[in-house]
Amino acid sequence: MEIYLPIAEISVHWLVLLGLGAGVGFLSGLFGVGGGFLLTPLLVFYGIPSAIAVATTLSHITASSISGALAQWRRKAVDFTMAAVMSAGGLVGTLVGVWLFSIMRQQGQMDLVVGLSYVVLLGIVGGIMLNESIATLRARMGADVKRARPVNHVWIHGLPFKMRFRQSRLYISVIPPVVIGFVVGALSAIIGIGGGFIIIPSMIYLLRMPTNMVVGTSLVQIIAITAFTTILQATSNYTVDIVLAAILVAGGVVGAQFGVRVGAKLRGEQLRLLMALLVLAVALRLAWGLVVTPQDVYSIAFGS
Amino acid sequence: MRKLAAVLAFLAVCSPAAAQDLVSGVSQDQIQITSNYTGSDIVVFGAIEQKGADQDRDVVVVLRGPETQIVVRRRDRVAGVWINHDAARLNGMPSYYYLASTRPLAAVAPAPVLAGEGIGLQNLAPRDVTSHHDFRPFWQAALRKMRAEGFYNETAGGVEFLSGSLFRAHVPVPASVARGQYNVEVYLFRKGEVQSAQSTPLFIDQTGLERRLFNFAHTSPLGYGLAAVLMAVLMGWLSSLMFRRPL
Repeated sequence: MEIYLPIAEISVHWLVLLGLGAGVGFLSGLFGVGGGFLLTPLLVFYGIPSAIAVATTLSHITASSISGALAQWRRKAVDFTMAAVMSAGGLVGTLVGVWLFSIMRQQGQMDLVVGLSYVVLLGIVGGIMLNESIATLRARMGADVKRARPVNHVWIHGLPFKMRFRQSRLYISVIPPVVIGFVVGALSAIIGIGGGFIIIPSMIYLLRMPTNMVVGTSLVQIIAITAFTTILQATSNYTVDIVLAAILVAGGVVGAQFGVRVGAKLRGEQLRLLMALLVLAVALRLAWGLVVTPQDVYSIAFGS
Repeated sequence: MRKLAAVLAFLAVCSPAAAQDLVSGVSQDQIQITSNYTGSDIVVFGAIEQKGADQDRDVVVVLRGPETQIVVRRRDRVAGVWINHDAARLNGMPSYYYLASTRPLAAVAPAPVLAGEGIGLQNLAPRDVTSHHDFRPFWQAALRKMRAEGFYNETAGGVEFLSGSLFRAHVPVPASVARGQYNVEVYLFRKGEVQSAQSTPLFIDQTGLERRLFNFAHTSPLGYGLAAVLMAVLMGWLSSLMFRRPL
């Protein structure tokens, strides 16, 4: 069954896209991530122009983050002050990101930037996760492994503009959360990710937030950023395809619910190992695309 | 098809009286792209005046899409990574070009005649070019790519004669074509010279929901963006309501 996408201006098999949305939604529910880092490259492999894939994936992340955020909110596990401060940085970041996005599109470097960013980000994150989960598994098997303790970042406490975050029981400078928000906001505009895999480690290791607050707060921040970026992309680049978004979201929200339930039955370390391998596989596939000699060095695009 | 048969019958009756030596028509004057549009065919048909044992006559049918700018980029290896380096912008290229002829173009007319009329893929020259280099390799690459993606095509034998004077050609209109005004051009060649030519406009447009969404996205992008976000939020919320109880 083919359906015509009004903004991408191509015909696609909607069942394939629904399946893609559901599959990524399942993984995002399983691993507790937004899944943008998987969905954007998959859409590009399928043939969706990367500019449209980047902008439209964000709706999928918004939708799959909503149900998680609601659940965390009911448990009072959301630090709204922290989410607001990070989102403030994030909004500025998305403005800069969307501006860079249109420049790169004009220069024809969209694919390169998206590809390189993914290879670097996923390579680093996947490597760290693989390392950690192997260390945990070895510790479980009785090997003597030193647990790496989070370093106490003294310099963070020396920064000005301190603010009290009641729910997280923190009294820290607003600069680190604003900067983290800014970076994630810019990345979400340029490469179409929610940024959970950057926000969560930053909250734990840099901001030293209590772990029970981390997931809920990051979800709220991700919703704010992806929603704002969607609006910005729609107004400045016209790259949000609402039909594509609806199909992906429909698959995604259902897939995510099943993922959460399966995830509850699996053990944490195994999940993390699987996730690490998945992330590294995507990174390797994208890296291969960048270095392999292309069949045709020429490519075409339609200008206006 | 019934419509076509009727018109052909009409032409067969009329053609002796027609003073022109080429009469042609198109099965439709517009194509509406809807959500289930997966491409279609238009039928170009017509009649020529017969002149005795007329062997050296050829008909060429062209469907030419609205003009566009094709940006051609060439990748070079920089530090092990292939990046887009040089580019050429070709202005005034057709966004779609389908040519059907009775015989291969080389047999229809000599190259200079075809070039003069702008008939054939090799004669699709850009109106102007923005490039720092020799644009020709970029232009050839554009022709090759457009061909590979199904936007440019040349089909020898695509025009068939149903009788001594009646001809017909099926011209595909794939789903991914640009919207706008197309032109159906029909050429009659005799002994390597263009004897007669006709051009008929064909409009291709989105319709229904697609059209409205496209307009919505471009006329009120803020509302469109908000709608996309609202849709995502609502579907996320609904799913969490639906799946509140464990499966």
